[in-house]
Amino acid sequence: MSVVPGSPPSNLRRFGAVNWIGLFALTQREARRGLQDYNYQILGPVVSSLLYLAVFHLALRTTGGTASNADLLNFIAPGLIIFVACEKAFECAAGSFIFDKHERIIADLLMAPLSSAERVLGYLGGCCLAGGAVGLAVALVTLFFADLSLYSVGALVFFGLMGTMLHALIGILVGIWAEKWDSYAVVHTFLLLPLSFLSGLFYRVENLPETAQSLVRFNPVFYVIDGFRWGMKGTGSADPAIGAGILLAVNAVLFALTYVWFRRGYRLKP
Amino acid sequence: MSQAPTNATLAPRRYGAINWIGLYTLYRKEVRRFLAVGTQTVLAPMVTTLLFLAVFVLAMGRSVDLVGGVPYMEFLAPGLIMMAMTQNAFANTSSSLMIAKIQGNIVDLLMPPLTAFEITLGLALGGLTRGIVVGLATAAAIWVFVPLHLSHVWAVVFYAAMASLMLAQLGVVAGIYAEKFDHMAAVTNFIITPLAFLSGTFYSTERLPDFGRLLAHLNPFFYMIDGFRYGLIGHADGSLWLGAATLVAVNLALLVANYLSFERGNRMKP
Repeated sequence: MSVVPGSPPSNLRRFGAVNWIGLFALTQREARRGLQDYNYQILGPVVSSLLYLAVFHLALRTTGGTASNADLLNFIAPGLIIFVACEKAFECAAGSFIFDKHERIIADLLMAPLSSAERVLGYLGGCCLAGGAVGLAVALVTLFFADLSLYSVGALVFFGLMGTMLHALIGILVGIWAEKWDSYAVVHTFLLLPLSFLSGLFYRVENLPETAQSLVRFNPVFYVIDGFRWGMKGTGSADPAIGAGILLAVNAVLFALTYVWFRRGYRLKP
Repeated sequence: MSQAPTNATLAPRRYGAINWIGLYTLYRKEVRRFLAVGTQTVLAPMVTTLLFLAVFVLAMGRSVDLVGGVPYMEFLAPGLIMMAMTQNAFANTSSSLMIAKIQGNIVDLLMPPLTAFEITLGLALGGLTRGIVVGLATAAAIWVFVPLHLSHVWAVVFYAAMASLMLAQLGVVAGIYAEKFDHMAAVTNFIITPLAFLSGTFYSTERLPDFGRLLAHLNPFFYMIDGFRYGLIGHADGSLWLGAATLVAVNLALLVANYLSFERGNRMKP
């Protein structure tokens, strides 16, 4: 009955392959954090989406464009929903890390009995949930102004997940890498916003010049928006299967990179 | 032996009616504050403005006819420049006060021998400068794609200055009121952005229904954009003199309000 010195004490808590409680706790913390102050975390995106809809509606109406107004709104609405969901996922992930690093509470994350994969998954889960909640809120309000059809629920969920995951992963990488809020703003303004705005969020990519049309195919956000719109309307500019494949591949690469960074403690551990 | 020193150098420093050195120092601090992060404060608005231009022109398509006698792009450009100017003028003063309050270095503003009037003026002029600098930068960026003519130089200068000053002063109001970044986000999301978006930046108010036009003309942002646009394309939707009078009146009212806030130390002094 003698205890070998140096062996772990017998009351050490044991987990199976996955620490489910810990993973759930981290997911819950991140999701709550992303939505804690609902009157501006959810209402803010809702108001700005409505503004975009209103402005496009009025611009088309008062400038006498020949494109059908209802068509344009029905085209923009799915793009806006996935756009705000993705923005929230990025903000949630990047914001958490930069804040925690500044406040020196990042140790809470690093000390907890979680493996690197569980940490990545916890953040991803929380931020995708927060993004999904905001997207759902915008969708509900948009229903009053545009026809949202459901062509394929599976595609909506898949592309919604892929889009928020892509942005959350970029958010985690930026959050780990960034030392200041400035870097967050730089990535958002100079990388993510152009990627979203120039990817068929507000217009059909067929309207673009030919060179731009081929360039847009290298933009993963284009496949997110196009696929999500396909899930609602059943039509899109690209083949949703190709989009799904590209997004799976990009997300897998980013996931692996994030995992390696956590594993090594890059910029997180001394 | 222990005589009080009668040294003239210990007498309090005297200023004339206005402490010019102090005022200039505060102004210079406000300007250097935004120039130090020029990527975010000057380059970022250039990029977002170009994005908006691209998105609206592509979404409206080539089908759009002339608005107020000019192509849609030329109609849109002045509005976008004005929007960038006003948003940045607001951001300059509001973030300056907000951060000073949160970090506690607001005392550096309240302790120096500056009167409430000098503080108000120094902050407002700093915001005004940011607005003008951003306006010039975005105009240069837009000019690459859209021909800009100076039809009425006085209107361009007057409305640019009045609009930047007004938003800089509104930024002071918001900076004094807000106690958390959440409050500031609420003011930006729910007041400033809607007023700016629904002011005729993207569409002509002439073809709105009567009630919509009345609402638009009650929005001071409408007059800034309308007057500025008149200076660039020679066409105005509303009355220029009513607009000029409104802007001067609002600016004076804000000046008095901010003077009183600093005099009383609202939310700044214990």
